Order: sequence, then structure tokens, then C-alpha cells
Amino acid sequence: MLADPLSRRTFLAVSSTALGAAWLAADPALVRAALDHAARAARSPLSPGSPDPVPWDVLTPDQAADLDAIAAQIFPTDDTPGAREARVVTFLDRSLGTWAAQQREPLLHGLDELNGEVERRWPGTQRFANLAPERQLELLRAQEQTPFFQQMRFATLVGMFSLPPYGGNADKAGWRVIGFEDRYAWQPPFGDYDAEAARGGR
Amino acid sequence: MRPARPAVRFDPRRTVDFVVVGSGAAGGIIAKELATAGLTVVVLEQGPRVEPPQFEHDEIKTLFQSALQNNPAGFTFRRTASETAKPGQIQLLYHRLVGGGSVMFTANYWRFREIDFIERSRLGAISGTGLEDWPITYRDLEPYYTKAEWELGVSGEPGPFDPPRTRPYPLPPLPVKSSGVLFERGARALGLHPQPAPLAILSQPFNGRPACQHCGYCLGFGCEFRAKSSTLYTVIPMAEATGRCEVRPNSYVRRIEVDRKGRVTGATYFDENKKEQFQRARAVVLCCNGSETPRLLLLSASSRFPNGLANSSGVVGKYLMFNGYSSSSGVFERPLNEFKSVTATRVLYDFYESDPKRGFYGGGAPDARSFAYPTIFALGGLPHDAPSWGAGYKRILRDYYTRTMNVDGHSTSLPLETNTISLDPDMKDAWGLPAMRVTYKDHADDLAMMRFLQDRAIEILEAAGARRTWRQPVQETNLAAHLLGTCRMGDDPRTSVVDRYHRAHDVRNLFICDGSSLVTGGRGQPTATIQALAYRAGEHIAAFARRGEI
Repeated sequence: MLADPLSRRTFLAVSSTALGAAWLAADPALVRAALDHAARAARSPLSPGSPDPVPWDVLTPDQAADLDAIAAQIFPTDDTPGAREARVVTFLDRSLGTWAAQQREPLLHGLDELNGEVERRWPGTQRFANLAPERQLELLRAQEQTPFFQQMRFATLVGMFSLPPYGGNADKAGWRVIGFEDRYAWQPPFGDYDAEAARGGR
Repeated sequence: MRPARPAVRFDPRRTVDFVVVGSGAAGGIIAKELATAGLTVVVLEQGPRVEPPQFEHDEIKTLFQSALQNNPAGFTFRRTASETAKPGQIQLLYHRLVGGGSVMFTANYWRFREIDFIERSRLGAISGTGLEDWPITYRDLEPYYTKAEWELGVSGEPGPFDPPRTRPYPLPPLPVKSSGVLFERGARALGLHPQPAPLAILSQPFNGRPACQHCGYCLGFGCEFRAKSSTLYTVIPMAEATGRCEVRPNSYVRRIEVDRKGRVTGATYFDENKKEQFQRARAVVLCCNGSETPRLLLLSASSRFPNGLANSSGVVGKYLMFNGYSSSSGVFERPLNEFKSVTATRVLYDFYESDPKRGFYGGGAPDARSFAYPTIFALGGLPHDAPSWGAGYKRILRDYYTRTMNVDGHSTSLPLETNTISLDPDMKDAWGLPAMRVTYKDHADDLAMMRFLQDRAIEILEAAGARRTWRQPVQETNLAAHLLGTCRMGDDPRTSVVDRYHRAHDVRNLFICDGSSLVTGGRGQPTATIQALAYRAGEHIAAFARRGEI
């Protein structure tokens, strides 16, 4: 009975990113656990909004810096907030420690491989986060089709636009950037065209 | 409104009048009809009971984790019988909880039309298909469409192609969204006849429930306001209020039992602790949807019914129909803000009937749709050739998110004997039972109709002034939300599973009413018809019970 585009597209959009599909397979009870965890973390003095270093659940500080840099390339900061301001890396850390725990190993393995490539191309650099932004972009363009990158794209966008209690979308930054509002109770007019029609325009 | 639960609890060893398996779009109605007619009813629902305050606007939990689908069972899929079925090839979208799919459906509420019941005799046989007339007509079902609309709460306004109705809609249409205004503009420019989309969502307060608050989370989500007319908080509380109906959640039926005379005696099910229980009943009604109903009949094979219960015809599980679907998008100059309010506010029925001039069988309707859950849109809402990350992606996403709408096509699926639900020979579900195996290949005409409606959708978007349009490529179905036709209704016991009153031809005290009863699949929105059938079946089954004819 649930016809429709959204679901069909979700599935297509997500499953087409090979590893994205694995993110979907987790147990809903773990999602609840993640939300509980996030709620607890939000009450702790070191959580979002506080200056670094934040207490990472599963990431090392180096890994967190790398993933933060990758997310910032996927959804960059311009005149509006990007993945960095939305604290996508916090979302990643919490998800990999809870509902997406089964993604931790493949994701961190992918990151190791990426850093191996960094070191091959630019000996002595060691880590992705140490690269200049132009080189980061150049490397990610070359890696665009890898499962690791596809997984990072998926996770970055989910962290950017999902409910803030999951750890990302801090201050609803993602929603504000695209114009979504989480008011959940509206009255017409909803948009410009129905407003115009209600005024008797064509 | 809601009675204190549990309204009544029956000892499974006590024989109740009816066991109803499934509490969704059909099961909730059947339970209410039987209980209000004075009969005792136990509804066995495999999923949990989730009440509206627990529904959330959480894309991760609700959509990605399918929290309300509760599907630990798994199934396998193949296109044709020559292939070995494998898990995870397509999605079957349905929801295992009290209220079933009626909790999360988009709430499109299209009546079928006269033609849907008599297409075979109007068009003639279509070679290689099981296209048949129904044993009942639109006229037989009309009073029950009306009853469903008035008892559940449906908003709408008749249009020029609507079938005759004996009463107006109980509620006026929901306010038009920008997508509806643009759709109407484009369609009228092409000489077509758009109309308000009928929805099982309250445009005004009704029967103690509030009007829609336009939160924007219909498709796939439960309605915390109770404005979507789910059986969960309409007919199910009415059934419970009689004191004769117990809805028993977390009860997964594994087998319908029969006695030596070939009569059903009740249902064996796993309770929430996976412990087997047996609920004894004078009669059983299956309302488990078009995939689980045939599976349960096949799982209930016995020495007396070696090919599956109620399957002397061999038709159980066959003629599975998913409905055709296509999707197109357009982006406009100014904001539409499609994240607000219901999914669809305008629909177009000009292409409903099959037209020989098109060169293939089929019919359907496009509607104006939102596609604006933020995470989902970010992941898959942009044109395929747009950048998928980086500064360019962000720029387009910011431009398109509030300015994009969809026109989606909903269309026919021909009933094919080769499209089936069966039992997988190898895979087991989480209870150790044979998993469901789905075999499905779209008929070439179904794909042609999807493409035809997509072409019309693009024309409408362009005529409405879209800056740019794009298509989701039409392809073989890989996600099925409608599960229809697998225990088809008919007068001939050799070619159908249930008679015109939903009684199994082979078993006098077994009834089946859900999407599986449909002989043809309509044009893509089957819920109104499933629910009208359920009201009609419930009335007849109650009368049979009163007359001792079960």
C-alpha cells in the first residue's frame, strides 16, 4: 500500500551506492540505541557546540580529522554551512559506534587504503587531512567510483540532513541550507504557485 | 475515543467465532464488521502495536531502517522460473504492525471504475495473460466504496471521468499545493482534465479526529495526528469497543489447521517469544496481503490438501500484480516547498482506459507529487547528470530542493500465470519456515504503459513551465508496494481460489479478503478497492455466520 516514488527512489538512490545498502540493513533497535546515546551525549559538557577535542566513540583523532576533511569536500562550506559546520563527523562517529557498527570495519579499511594512496602519491604526507584542499579534491575525483567514496557520500549526506539527535545536521544547518523547515504543522499557502493561485492569479 | 486496551482477551483454547489473520487495510475492517455483528473475533497480527504518538519524522529509522516494516523473514526473488531465486533482488514494501499498510500508505484513494471489472469482455482475451472479468461489477461494490469513504474519512471531489457514486465525498479536497497548481496549469494547456486527488486524509475534523496538519510526512510514515485514515485508529477501536474483538499483536501465523472433514479449526502461530500457540475458531479469514496470504495457504499444505490449503485449482500464488509505475521531475523558477502537506493533490484520469490506438494494452493516471524528504532528496532527487558531490552539487541542491516536483505515473499490470508467490526450496525465515519466493517479470505492455505515462508527465511539466525536466528510467519493477491477485476471485473453482463472497471454493469455513482477491489490478492505487471488498465481505461473512453457513 505504500506506492511510490519516494520509497522506490530511496531504494534506488541508496542501493546504487553499493555500500549504502549495507547501512540500511541494521537493526531498528540499534537506531533507538543510537538516539538514546546521542541524547545522553547532548547532555554531557563536551558535546556538540563545545570546542574540540570532542570525545570520539570509535574514531581516533586522526581518523576523525580525515573523515571530516572528506565530508567537507563532499558537502563543502561556501557562504552557507557545509559538512564541517553540521558536524557530520560526529554523526559518523556515533553511527559507527551504534546502529551502523557493521560499517565501521569496511569504512576504516577504506580510509586506510585512501591514506595508502596519499602516501604513494605524496610521500611523507601520511594522511588525507594533511593534504592541501586542491589535492584532496584531486584525489577524491580519482576515487569517485570506489565503494569507500560512495559510502562516504551516502553517510555524509545522511549526516547532513537527518534529525540532529543522530549527531549531524547541527543547529539544523543542513536543513537551513536547502530551505527545509521542521515545523511539521503548516497552513496554506505552501509555496509561491499556490499562493499566487489563491490570490486569483493564473 | 480509544477504549482502554485490552478490550477483551480470549483464552486461545476457547473457540471464538473467527480468527482474522492480519490487521491491515482489509483485516481491520473485517474484524470490525464481524465484531459489530455480534461475533467473537481474535485478530492475529504478526507485527507490534504502535500508537500514533510513537510515529516520528525520522528518515533514518522509518525509511532506511524500515522500522515499521518489521521484516525479519526475508524472501527470495527471480524474474522467471528458469532462474534460481536469490535474496535481496527487489524490495517488497509492506508493513507489519497493527493497521498494516494502512498506517504508512500515501493514502491515495482511487475507486476502481466500471471498466476495471469487465475489461476482458470489453477488450477480448489477451493472449498469454490471465485477463478475466470479475464475478462482481462496479455496481455491486459501489455501496461499499461509499461506506469506506464515510466510515474511514476520505477527502475529494468528483471529476469528469469518475464512476457514478451514491453519496458525495464526506470531506472536501485537501488544499492544493504548488505542485497541484502547476500540474493543473500544464494539463489544461494540453486540453486534459486534472482534478483533486482523492485521499484518505482528513481535510477537516471528522469522527473525533483532527484535520491534516500538513506536516508533509505521509508516504512511508505513520500519522501522529491520526488525520490519515488508517484502520489502526478508525475501525480497529470500533471493533475493540464491542468487547468481542481482541487484536493480538506479535502473533505470527505459521499454519491454518484443518480437521478430517477438511474444515479449518483455527490458526497455529508463534507468539512474541516464538512459542507456538493455537487459537481455535469456527472460521478463519485471511487478510495478510497478496504475498503473505498465498504463502500461508502453501505453508498449510496437509495430506488432505497436498498442494496447499484451498489450492485444488493450482491458482494460489499465481497472477501476482505489482502495478506499473514511472517517475518524472521538473524544476521551476520559484519555490514550491513540496516538503509541506500531503503527497499528491492533483491527478489526471484522461488516460485511465486502455486505447487500441496506443498499440498496447494498459491504462493509468499521472499525479502531481512531492518528493521532498530532505535526506532522500539529497541522495536521489537531482537529475542523473548533475554533480553528485562537491560545490557544484551543493549549488544545484540548494536551487532545486524547494523548486522541484514530480509527476508520477500509476498503471496496469497484466495478470500473468508465471508471476507468482511460492515457497523457496532452500531459504528459511527467522522462524525456520520456508521463505517466500517471488517470481515476477513485467509484461511488455505494462512497461509500454509506464513509458507512455512518463511521456505525458514530461509534456505536462513542460507545459507548466518547468525550467528543466528529467526522468527516472522506466525499468522492470524492482520495488513492489502493491501485492495483488494471488488468490483471485471467480465463479469457477477450477480457475479461481475464492468465490464472489470471498469464501474459499475448497473450504466452507475459510475466507480470504485482501489484495490477493483482486482479479485485475486497477490503475495503480488499490487500497480503496481492497477496503470496499473488505466491507462487502465482512457483511456477507457475518450473514453466513448468523445463518449457520460456515
